[in-house]
Amino acid sequence: MDFDLGDDAARLRARLRDLIAAHIAEDYLGAFTDDPADLDVSQRFCRILAEEGLLTVAWPTEYGGAGGSVWDQTVVREEMWAHHEPRGAQYMGLNWVGPAIMAFGSEAQKARHLPAIAAGEVIWCQGFSEPDAGSDLAALSTRAVADGDGWRLTGQKIWTSYAGMAQWCVLAARVGNGTRHEGITMFLLPMDTEGITVRPIASMLGHHHLNEVFFDDVWAGPGSVLGEVGEGWAVIRRTLAHERVGIARYARCERLLSALGRELAPEWDRLPPAVHAQWARALVEVRVARLLAYRAVHAQDTGAPADVPASVARIAFTSCDQHVAELLFQALGHESLEAGPGAPLHGAVEDHWRYAQAATVASGTIEVQRMIVSKSLLGGRR
Amino acid sequence: MNPELPAAAAEFGATATRVFTAAALGGVDAARRAEAEPAERGAQVAGALRALGVDDLDPRADDEALAAAAALCEERERVALPYPLDAVRDRVDRGRPFAVVPEAGGRVDHGELFEEWRVSTLAGPATVAAPKGGALGSRLGPFVSDLAPVGDEGGSARAEVDLHLALTAWWLLGVGARAVELAVDHVSTRVQFGKPLSAFQAVQFQLADATVAVAGLRELAGFTLWRLSGAPGQARADVLALRVHALDVVRAVLRTSQQLHGAAGVCDEYDISVLTRHAQPALRLPWSAERTAAELAAAIAAEGFEGLFPHGRAPG
Ligand SMILES: Cc1cc2nc3c(=O)[nH]c(=O)nc-3n(C[C@H](O)[C@H](O)[C@H](O)COP(=O)(O)OP(=O)(O)OC[C@H]3O[C@@H](n4cnc5c(N)ncnc54)[C@H](O)[C@@H]3O)c2cc1C
Repeated sequence: MDFDLGDDAARLRARLRDLIAAHIAEDYLGAFTDDPADLDVSQRFCRILAEEGLLTVAWPTEYGGAGGSVWDQTVVREEMWAHHEPRGAQYMGLNWVGPAIMAFGSEAQKARHLPAIAAGEVIWCQGFSEPDAGSDLAALSTRAVADGDGWRLTGQKIWTSYAGMAQWCVLAARVGNGTRHEGITMFLLPMDTEGITVRPIASMLGHHHLNEVFFDDVWAGPGSVLGEVGEGWAVIRRTLAHERVGIARYARCERLLSALGRELAPEWDRLPPAVHAQWARALVEVRVARLLAYRAVHAQDTGAPADVPASVARIAFTSCDQHVAELLFQALGHESLEAGPGAPLHGAVEDHWRYAQAATVASGTIEVQRMIVSKSLLGGRR
Repeated sequence: MNPELPAAAAEFGATATRVFTAAALGGVDAARRAEAEPAERGAQVAGALRALGVDDLDPRADDEALAAAAALCEERERVALPYPLDAVRDRVDRGRPFAVVPEAGGRVDHGELFEEWRVSTLAGPATVAAPKGGALGSRLGPFVSDLAPVGDEGGSARAEVDLHLALTAWWLLGVGARAVELAVDHVSTRVQFGKPLSAFQAVQFQLADATVAVAGLRELAGFTLWRLSGAPGQARADVLALRVHALDVVRAVLRTSQQLHGAAGVCDEYDISVLTRHAQPALRLPWSAERTAAELAAAIAAEGFEGLFPHGRAPG
């Protein structure tokens, strides 16, 4: 037994922290704040990471990666998420769009998309959820109809993160009249294609995060299908497993818990003892969440089934996200209502609280994760 | 023994709901408009409150008036009405709205709407404070503003503090009750896996737990009014107990309701998102739940706590 990620991982972590310290301001809160300049910061930082060979550290070298291990990738995601994800909207391309194209894409798709993602040049969005297909994703009804050597797409997506910033979309649509998983097909589509309309949705996450995307008789050329026609569900299953461990929420929780005492001193000592006790417990919860994440990565590393460990980890770290958000508010008291650079921890606590409210819904709700875990437990005995 | 709110108070609450949800204010839309145009909110809401007779309602007058004020507070927060109606009421006989604050001066919701406030910390005495600067304008405290002490009002504000803490807990009761209703409405109409979400037992259990929590808070809120009117000036532990419980229940119930809304739970087109954001000042001011619980423990130690057995203060 050995829980040390190793010297290489420690060096990588130190290097990432140096880069972040050099290029990301202390009060940076991610790419989706009300200040559009924050998106530019993340775009610039992605190019810097790409130049340093750190953007796609665990991708195979043939696709522009550094051939690193899943543990290197784990370190990257921890450091990025801990520092408000300075890769911004690009994390999605790096985390699962690229790997999905490696696994399911044609040579032409690999040649076209992987170098661009590895160079930090492109933002992807994920067009899965629809108004009537949320938890029940297999109910999706966006249609793809064959037309000459390509397809015509019509339908609506919702909650599409970063759709307003993205150049490309991985779109799930249905070919034919099948139901449930039948006919679901993945398309790779440029967002500037005629007939695509993006409408932002006002949310507590800010103005640039969630969107509706309308597809009105949109042309998808030959070569736009990812994988086989009708085999999209396999792609979705694989991408969601990647996505679920891909956000290392526990890392930001731990960083905020660590900064809290310094920020509040000397008031920290005057907080009710119950807050100190909760803070200590939160550190335990964060550690457990991290260990469960490592367990899921270990399964991935050894080729063991990773879906269930990924859901277990996700339940732990989305719950932890909300517990820590509330604890931080308890510690800050009325200062928790402040936002922006002048607020405690440069507004990071307020920002974390708002985002934490969506943590147990995004990428599959906590209830859906629970269904996956209980199904694995009960199997045929249900 | 009769745990019911007086009929007249319940009726007054129902009338208030009709006014708050009628087209002119539009329920939670009033909060949405106020956030877009903060300067307009006084004009928008004050007239409707006056028409309701809020100016004539003095919760200190008698038990019925106290209950009516509580019912009004509940209805106010069900729609996150962007105006401090307890402040309107207190202005009538004091000249200044009253609020409990965490420290001298302090921070209150809608603080910048009035030139001067009468404020008190838990220990008192009351002071006069005036807004400094504008509202925070944050998503979780759009109308919260800071006050600075400007003079001495003198005198203990103990009874006012207790009344204020009790009535603001009734706001929170309104938030919790409304959050459950919004969740019930949503899961009854939202279909996934070929059924309304309400068909799933995991959803039903979450609703049941939230309902139990709000039911308990309602009983405690009624009980606390009764204690307050029976022994004014001696109900500090009771009002703190109510406040602690309101903070615990409402934070949990808002979370459940948001969760049952799925992604819609964080989107301002849905009332639950606006309600959650606009309830934050009432959940964080004047103190955090943990700070309030610590004050409660101190109050019980000093003054005891009603129950079947003695607590706190040594007998005799
Ligand atoms: C911040 C954020 C970012 C997102 N980004 C994207 C994106 O980029 N691309 C994309 O395609 N989607 C995205 N989503 C959408 C997300 O995948 C969906 O919100 C999620 O799958 C849930 O769907 P829903 O919101 O329709 O909720 P619903 O499915 O309507 O669920 C509502 C509630 O009912 C519960 N529920 C549903 N079915 C059951 C059941 N059988 N038993 C018990 N409980 C049940 C749910 O758990 C939830 O609590 C994002 C969501 C958020 C919050």
